[in-house]
Amino acid sequence: MISQIAMITREEILARLNDPSLLLVNVMPEETFADGHIPRSLNLPLSQVETKARQLFADVGRELVIYCGGPT
Amino acid sequence: MGYKNIRHYVGGMADWEEKGGPVEKMDLPVADPTPRQFVRAETSKTWIWSRWLDTLANWPLDRLVGFWLGMILAFGFVYWGAGIGMGWGLQAGNASVKPDFEGLLTSIYFSFVTALSIGYGDVIPVGALRVLAIVEGAAGLLIFGCLVSKLVSRRQEELTEEIHRTTFEDRLDRVRTNLHLVFSDLGAVLQLQAEQGVLPGQIVRRLESTVRVFRGEMQTIHDLLYRTQVLPDEEALESLLANLAICLQSVVDLQSSQLNGQQRSQPLDAGLHAISNLANEICGECVPRTYAPAMKQWMDQIQELARKIA
Repeated sequence: MISQIAMITREEILARLNDPSLLLVNVMPEETFADGHIPRSLNLPLSQVETKARQLFADVGRELVIYCGGPT
Repeated sequence: MGYKNIRHYVGGMADWEEKGGPVEKMDLPVADPTPRQFVRAETSKTWIWSRWLDTLANWPLDRLVGFWLGMILAFGFVYWGAGIGMGWGLQAGNASVKPDFEGLLTSIYFSFVTALSIGYGDVIPVGALRVLAIVEGAAGLLIFGCLVSKLVSRRQEELTEEIHRTTFEDRLDRVRTNLHLVFSDLGAVLQLQAEQGVLPGQIVRRLESTVRVFRGEMQTIHDLLYRTQVLPDEEALESLLANLAICLQSVVDLQSSQLNGQQRSQPLDAGLHAISNLANEICGECVPRTYAPAMKQWMDQIQELARKIA
C-alpha cells in the first residue's frame, strides 16, 4: 500500500511550510512527536490511525503529507 | 481509507533535522489519560466491595458478634423453613430433618457447623440448600475473620491509645512551660522598656522570637479547643488558659507602652496579628464544646484581650 502513495520532497515541504492547504501528519508516538516535529504538524500515532484518522481529517480530498521518524 | 491526496515524506524526521529544517517541540500533557481512566474504572468496581468490608471491619466488637450469631440463627431458620415449606431440607443420616423443634435445633446446629467451616458431615444440605450453605460458609468465614482480627488488635489499640495519651500530656506540659517562658520574656522586655524607653535592636529581635514561640503555642491551644478528640482534664486546661491569658495581658501592656515611640517591626506585627486572630476565636460560646463556667470565663477574657491587641 505504501508503494502506491506518492512521494513528496523535503524541498516542497519547506517551500509550503506556511501553506495551510498542506496538512502535515506525524505518525510517531506522542512522546517522539513532542521531542520534535516539523512545524504545523498534527500528531496521529500509527497505533491510532485506524481509529482516529476519520475524526482528525474528515475531508478525504485534503492534501496530506505523512511522515515518521526516518527513512523506513 | 479513502484519502485521495496523500503523499509520503520518506525521509521523515531524521532527514528533516539532518538537513536543518525547522523543528517544533512541545511539552507533553502530564500523563496519558487512557490508563488513568482504566485504573479509575477498576477502583470504582472494587469500591463497593471494599466499602462493604470496611463497614464490617469498623463495627464494634459486640455488634459484630451479634451480627454473626444473628446470621447463623437466621440461616438455621431458613434451613428449617425450607424443609417445611418445600419439602427439601436438611438430611441427617438417611432421613430428612423433621419440621419439629428437634428439627429446628438440628438446623441451627448445622448452621453453626457450616458458618464455622467445621463441616462434620453428619447433617447435609440437599438441593438448593447447598448453595445457601456455601454462601453462609463464605460469609461466616469473612465475619469470623473480622472478629478475630478485632480481638487481636484490641491490645494494640490500647497500647496506641496509651502512647497517644502520653505524647498528648507531654505536649501540654511543653505548651505550659513555653507559655511561662513567653510570659517571663515579655515581662523582662516590659521592664527594660520602662527603664530605657526605646528598645535596642537586640531586644527587639528577642521579642520577635518570643512572639514566634507564643504564636506556635497559641495555635496549639486553638487546635486543642477546636479540633482534637482527646481533651485534657479540666485542671490542666484551666492552667493553660490562665497562662495564655496572662501572656496576652503582657502583650497588651507592652503594646500600649510601646506605641508611644517605638516603630513596630514587620515580623513582630505579623506575629501579633496572627496571635490576635487566633485568640479572637476563643470564647466560651464560640468553641465547639461546652465547658465549665470557670473555663468559659477564661476564654471570654482571652477573646477580650485579643481584641485589645488588634
